[in-house]
Parts: sequence; structure tokens; C-alpha cells
Amino acid sequence: MAGGGAAKRDAGDSGFLGFRSVSVDPGAARRRKRGPRNKKRGWRRLAEEPLGKEVDTFLEDVRLQERTAGGLIAETPDENLFFVDTGVGKNLLFGLAGGKGAPQIAFLSPLFGKPFGTLGQIWGKGDFWGGLLDKVVFLVNLKPLKRSSLQLREGESLAGSPRGSMGLDSSPRQLPVRLLVIEGIRLHTLISFFFPFLQRPQRLQTKPSQAPAVEVIPSGGSYNPSFQDHQALLREAHEVELQRQKVEEKLSRQLAFPTVDKAPTQESEFKELCEGLLEESDGETPAEPEGEGEADSQTQRPPGPEKKTEQQRRREKEARKLKAQQAAERAAKKRHQEVFQLRGIRLQVARRLAELARRRERRRLKRLAEDEKPRRLGRLKYQAPDIDVQLSTELADLEEPEGSILRDRFKSFQRRNMIEPRERARFKRKYKVKLVEKRSFREFP
Amino acid sequence: MGGLEKKKYERGSATNYITRNKARKKLQLSLADFRRLCILKGIYPHEPKHKKKVNKGSTAARTFYLLKDIKFLLHEPIVNKFRDYKVFVRKLRKAYGKSEWNTVERLKDNKPIYKLDHIIKERYPSFIDALRDLDDALSMCFLFSTFPRTGKCHVQTIQLCRRLTVEFLNYIIASRALRKVFLSIKGIYYQAEVLGQPIVWITPYAFSHNHPTDVDYRVMATFTEFYTTLLGFVNFRLYQTLNLQYPPKLERPKDQESKDQDEEAYAMDSESSLEKLSALSASLARVVVPVTEEEEQMDEFPVDGENAEQEEGLRKEREAQEKHKKLFEGLKFFLNREVPREALAFIIRSFGGEVSWDKSLCIGATFEEKEPSITHQIVDRPLPPVPIIGRCYVQPQWVFDSVNARLRLPVEDYFPGVLLPPHLSPFVIEKEGDYVPPEKLKLLALQRGETPGKEAESESEEEEEEEEEEEGEEEEDGEGGDDQEEEEEEEGSEKEEEAKLKVMEAQRTQTKKPQVTMGTLDKRRQLPQEEENEAKRLAIMTMRKREKYLYDKIMFGKRRKVREANKLAQKRKAHDEALKAEKKQQKKARRA
Repeated sequence: MAGGGAAKRDAGDSGFLGFRSVSVDPGAARRRKRGPRNKKRGWRRLAEEPLGKEVDTFLEDVRLQERTAGGLIAETPDENLFFVDTGVGKNLLFGLAGGKGAPQIAFLSPLFGKPFGTLGQIWGKGDFWGGLLDKVVFLVNLKPLKRSSLQLREGESLAGSPRGSMGLDSSPRQLPVRLLVIEGIRLHTLISFFFPFLQRPQRLQTKPSQAPAVEVIPSGGSYNPSFQDHQALLREAHEVELQRQKVEEKLSRQLAFPTVDKAPTQESEFKELCEGLLEESDGETPAEPEGEGEADSQTQRPPGPEKKTEQQRRREKEARKLKAQQAAERAAKKRHQEVFQLRGIRLQVARRLAELARRRERRRLKRLAEDEKPRRLGRLKYQAPDIDVQLSTELADLEEPEGSILRDRFKSFQRRNMIEPRERARFKRKYKVKLVEKRSFREFP
Repeated sequence: MGGLEKKKYERGSATNYITRNKARKKLQLSLADFRRLCILKGIYPHEPKHKKKVNKGSTAARTFYLLKDIKFLLHEPIVNKFRDYKVFVRKLRKAYGKSEWNTVERLKDNKPIYKLDHIIKERYPSFIDALRDLDDALSMCFLFSTFPRTGKCHVQTIQLCRRLTVEFLNYIIASRALRKVFLSIKGIYYQAEVLGQPIVWITPYAFSHNHPTDVDYRVMATFTEFYTTLLGFVNFRLYQTLNLQYPPKLERPKDQESKDQDEEAYAMDSESSLEKLSALSASLARVVVPVTEEEEQMDEFPVDGENAEQEEGLRKEREAQEKHKKLFEGLKFFLNREVPREALAFIIRSFGGEVSWDKSLCIGATFEEKEPSITHQIVDRPLPPVPIIGRCYVQPQWVFDSVNARLRLPVEDYFPGVLLPPHLSPFVIEKEGDYVPPEKLKLLALQRGETPGKEAESESEEEEEEEEEEEGEEEEDGEGGDDQEEEEEEEGSEKEEEAKLKVMEAQRTQTKKPQVTMGTLDKRRQLPQEEENEAKRLAIMTMRKREKYLYDKIMFGKRRKVREANKLAQKRKAHDEALKAEKKQQKKARRA
């Protein structure tokens, strides 16, 4: 058992290449055994089980290694696993292992024999563009190399890669990286080396709003507008202002203190307190005779229908049966007739479909209209900026432009749902400021 | 029987969203850094459809992000840089506190920096994508480049923005891509067409700085940081498409020595190239000098009946555009010092004109005011006592209006001291039935090649005119020739106004009472039309009640629109008349 455990560890430790069973089937390891855990017996049973399983997983691992690497990795010589370029002095050889958790990287250069660090650490060093590769061994050369020196297998090309056509200065192409492809690597992995970062999902390419980035001010906002345009813009601004004033007035009206004649007096307050009490006592007295009447009517209930005779029952039953039969006949006849109504039915169906299409269209338009509006993205609602106007008296005065472009840009970002509307964080003191007069400065009366 | 208990908020939309705070914690970033990261990566908050569900029963308004987006952010390498920076700041503070200056130096040398190149490439997989987002980038960069260097943001950012925008303007000039200009009360709107993409941006007027307090400068600075990176790449690519050198270089003028002396007065050696570039007066050096600029001939396809009209329209449009690009070709402008130099220089140069200014005004002046070959001098002040003969003195608006009208407008309306016609927005496109202001009508007529100002006036107006002329003649005897000039100018403007009115009236009468002319009916022509009308009437008759109602409403709306347009036209007429009367009175008062 001990030997098996050691062998297992060996197999597992060489797993920076990602041959660990965990990295292959992460779902299997994650599954937790179910069973009661609050009793001693349950724990015991749980403890017993892994033994068999451990052996199982070990054997599975061995099989996996045989399948993928052609033998136990621990036993294969390094030359078969990696390409060690000993020609240039400063070459470093990395092994990368994908899978769950932080990918492991090992230095396998003869200069440094020990593991180097995690991917994140190497990233932190800056000049390394290693990506989320799995099972790639590659060589980092410290001399800048051209793309042509990238070794590709015959018939494969990187032409179809979505590397875009931007003129990036420091594209990975110019980084001092040379790839050496081990057998059986997929082209996809290779490409993913050049695009080491996660591909941006397609859904992020759509903008959160269809509104234009730069909304041009209406014609009335010209520095020398025509009369009509200017008036139109002024009117618009005026209406906004009017609406605002209305809201303000309403608020002030609602919050206003009542005038003297409307203010509650002692008498009215008392009346309000007694509201409903007096009326109830009034209402009770006439209610009594009514209650008596009800009681009477309950006792003198008219007798129910008399018992039916046998004949009556039979006749009713027959009548019912006949009715049902007739209804069935009618339905059958109608169904039969429907054959001749095909045209009408088709018309009906067409009409129905048209109606549905119309509704769909309406819903779509409604959704579009909804999309136009700015979304509610936080505590605050988006508030449209004021319409910038210059009054007739201030026109043609370019020294003092209206509004601020900075604010416009800021509001535009909010309008297009790119940032949430926010208030400036206000400075709030946690404690009260205590004012102490220094003794030496104290003024004596 | 049995089954696992379904717990609330463990599936569905509740698991698809994440609140901002949770996302922040997941990424281990401060709020400011998180916001920065989201802006840089183009991850925007979402409004869930069922807020209460997503919010796990609470109705508090929160900011939500899609969980998928946040998971995507987890892979971003600059997140690590943000964390590094945080540590760096902490160490630096500590070193300062301990007064360990060596440590401070060392730390400052190793300050973590991050680059946005990979994000640009990721966010804009193709160049057209980047161009589509250029509106924002340009507006922000132009805005930041005009900021005073007072510490609202980094001076380097301002300089970078300035350099990038100047490079972009030079590209626009070189490619003649400018299409529209609009001077508004906020700033100047430009529209250019770059590789078939319309790009709109706004530039603020110079020296207009009131820093609003309700704007988050940190957010804006982050946007600018991103957009400057984008604009840098885009500029590079654009320069490549035109075979221009990047970083841009100016073509060396022939008389080199004389120029160099002047330059030293303006800027140091390190800055002079950018300053010269930003003067926008010289053209850029090309990598490969084109031998002969051959006009590209569009392929001619055999046209079939249906597309013929379309093709024809397209061809005309293309020709008009080519003509538009050469609007100021062969003209030589001189800018007086009181006019906005940069905007005018940019516009004139991007339509092929040559431009210069006073040597003491700015670097890069190419010729002097006395140069006899100058065709236009742009002034915004009363004329000098002895104007130079052989050139037009015009107000700056002439340039802008000409660009928008796609033709060189008659200069008479723009002489110095003349009341300018309104500057209309080129971004407004009138639909059918909308009210079209008379100024626009006049412009449209000009574009068609008519000259509405010289048409015969209607009788009553003519009489009026004669009267005035008589009056004028009477006056002339008494006063000198100076007055006469003024008189003529005023009359000129009045004439135009009348012309405008006439056009407007003509339109009104057209809509109001169609003229009836007796003539022989052309049966062949009448028949299909009548049939059409008949069909329409029938269709209306067979309409369902609800549809009929809707139809009536639409028709009513249309009629109302026309009515309103008419009303506006009438109002305009009344306004113009009132103005005229007032003017007349003033004139009379002056004479008396």
C-alpha cells in the first residue's frame, strides 16, 4: 500500500503537465459524498470508502498517462517530453500546465532545476505573455525574433486568426518568444498563444445604447441662428423650465404651513379625535328593531320544494338525455359542416396570424422605444441636462459659450448607460468637532 | 414526495447578476479601481428585468453587473497591475514616513505601469470598429487638449491629447475628409468622412473654461486615458493608408534658412515641430511621393432599367463630393488676428485653400498680408482705411457657410459690417412637409444653380424700391459719397430679404391655391392617375373602422403639419416686415 501511495505521488507530482486526474475531470473530484455527518458511524463509513477509490484513481491516472503520453511520465526521459535547447546560453524552458487552480510552471532549463512559480507570478514579471495554455512547452528566447521564425507544422497557418488589423506597437509578435510545438498540439492552442487573453465575448461588442455618441445641438443653438430655429429652441427650454417650476410649486404647496383660518383649532382637533365615536352610538339605536325583524324572517322561512314523484324524476331524466343527444348531434353536424367552411377558417387563421404579427411588431417597437430611454443603473435616476440656449440679447457672443462640453460628455456617457449616475461623495465627519479654547488664549472678561 | 427543497434565489436571474460591491470584492479592487477597470474594458452595468428577484427580495436600487462580465474581468492582467500599484503606494508612503529617501527613489524607479494596447485590440477587432467609436475619442481628446495646465489633470495627458488631435486634424486635411461644420453656442461641430464612416466631433472654443463641479474628473480622465491610446493607434493606421510618415513630418519648404530664424522666436527646438504641425499650414511628408495623382475612375457597369436612376444619382453625388473637396482650391486666404485662427486654417486647408496669418500671431505663416495674390482676407472688424484692391474682405462665417452649402457663396452677404445671414445647422435635414426657413430655401436655390436675388420683384415691392431710390437720390445731393456706399449695402440686404420673401410667398401660394389652367386633357396620362386615385378611394372605403380612424388621424396630423408650416412662414413674414418698417423708420430718422 505504501508503494502504491508513493507511485501515486510521483504520478501526481509530475502533473504540471496537466495529466493529473483532477485536471482531466474536475467534475468527478468535486462531487462530495453524501451521507450523514452528524454521527460517528457515518464518519467511519466515509473514512473507509476512499481506500478503494484511491486505488481506482491511481490506476485511472496511470491509464490516462499511458494513453496520452505513451507511458508513465515519471519514467519517460526528459528529452522525450521537452525540447531542451542548450545551444543558446540564456534560453529558458517553461512547462505550462492548465487545468484547475493556478497553472504551474516549472523551469526546466539546466541552469535552474526547481519550479519557478505560478503563472500569476510570472505575469507579474512583466515581459511574459504566457496565456491560458494547456500542455504546451515553449521556449523563451531573450532575443527578439520575427514571426517567420515561428515554427509551424506544414499546411497550417495563422492567417485565419482574428488578430485584427490594428497597428499595435507591442504585439506579441515582437516579443522575444519562440514557440516550439510538441507533437499533437492543436492549432487552436497555438493561436491562443498569440491571443493569450480570454477572447472577448461577442455580446460585449454591442453597445449598451443606440444613442449617438455626439448629439448635435438643434439648429437654434447656432451662434447666429435663424429666427424660427432660435424661437423653437427657446420654447423648448421654456417648457422644460415651466415643468420644473410646476413641480417646485406643487412641493411648496404641499409642504406649506396652513394659514391662520385653515389651521386646526382646539375644537376641530377634539372633533377629529372623536371622529366616528359619536356616530356609532347614534346608529345603534335604530339598528335594534332591524335585528328583531331579521330574527323573525329566519324563523318564518318558506318551506322548500316538495318531494318529486317518481314520474317526474323519470321525465326529467329523459328530457336531460334528449338534450345531451341533440347537443352531440348538433356538434357532430357542425364538425361535418366545417369541411365546407375551410375557406372561412383559413381566413380566420390568416387574420389571427396577422393579428399576432401585428402584436409582435408592436411589442418590438415598444422594446425599441424602451431601449432608447436611459436605464436605471443605480440609486439615482438619469437626469437630462438643461437645454443650452442663449437669449436674443446674448446672441453672437462667442466669448461666453453656453454650458460646458465636459458636462455634456459626462452626461452623454450616463445617457448611453456607460456609467451610472452618481452624486459626488460628500465629506461626512463621523464625530462632532469639539471647539476648545486654549487656556493661554482664553479671553477673560 | 420528497425531492430536494428548491431554494429561492439560487437559480435564474438571481444568479446571472452580481451587485457592484460584490463584484468589487471578488476582484479585490477598490471602488475607484473597479470603476477604472470597467471603463477600460468596456464593461457596463446592466439593469435587470426583474430587479426584485435579482436583488434577492430587496427593492433597494443597486448597480448590477452581469456575472459573466465580471468573470471575464477576472482574467484581465491589468487587475494585477492595479493591485501592484496599491502596494506601491503603500510602500512609498511608508518610505516617506520613515524618511528613507533611497527607498523612495528605488520605489519610484520601479513604479508599476500598465499598457492598454491589448485592450484596444481586444475591444476593436477590426479597424472599422475603432472608427465607429472615434466620435467619443475625438471629442474627449479635443476637450482635454484645451484644458489649462493647472492641475485638474496631468499635464502629460493634456500634451498627449494636443498632439493626437493635431495629428488627426492633419490627416483630415491630407485626406480632404471634412464634410460639415457647425458653429454652435457650445463649440464647433465637425463632420468628416473617414474611410466611409461619418465621424462627428465637437471642439470647444478657445479659452472657455468653467470647470463644472458635478462632473467626476476621475472617470473622465480614465475615459481619456483609454481614448488617447485608441486615437494613437487609429492615427498611425490612418497615416499608413495615405502613405504619410508617422510620426508626422512636414514637407520642407524650399527657402529653409529664412524660416528657421523665425521659428526660434516661438518655440524651443523640442516643441517647434509640434507647434509647426499644429499651425496646420504646411502639408505632410509622404513616405512615397506620388508621381502623378491619377484620378481613380470608377468602374462603369452596364445599367439596367431599374438601377439606372439610382446609378445616376450615385454618380452625381460622387461628382458633387469631388467638387466639394476642391472647394477652396486655388484660393489664398489671409486671416486677420481677430478671427479664430485654428478652426479657419483647418477648414480652409481641408478644402484645398492656402492660408496664412500675421507672422507675430502664430508660427507657420506662409505669406504676408501684402502678398498681391491673396484672394480673400478674413476680417471681423471694420475695414482698414485703405483696403488692398484685388481681394475680397469677408467675415469668417462665409467660410463655414460655403463649406456647408458645398459651393462658394456670393461674398456680398458677408462683407464686413453687413448684417450676416443666419448660420444654419447642416445637420438638420428637413422632411417633406416640414417648415423650411427662407434662408435655407435660398440656399437650395443657389445649389440648384439659380440666382434668386436677381429675379424680378413683384410690383408693389418694386414701387417701394423706386420710392426709396428716389429718396436716396435726393439725399445723395446733400451728402458725400461715403453715405452712398452704406446706402447701397443696405439696399442690397433689403433686396435679398425681399427676394427671400418672394420665394417664400411663392411657396405659400403654391400650397394654398393651386393655379387652375384650362387645357386639353391628356387622356393617356390622366387614365392611370385616375385609376390610382380610384383605387385609393376604394381602399379607404373598405377600411375597417379602427383602421379608418387611424388613417384619418394620420391624415389630420399631416394637414396640421402643413398648416403649422404655413403659420410659421406667415409669422416670419410679419417679423420681416416689422423689421423692415423699423429699419425704414430709422433711416428716415437719420436723414431728418
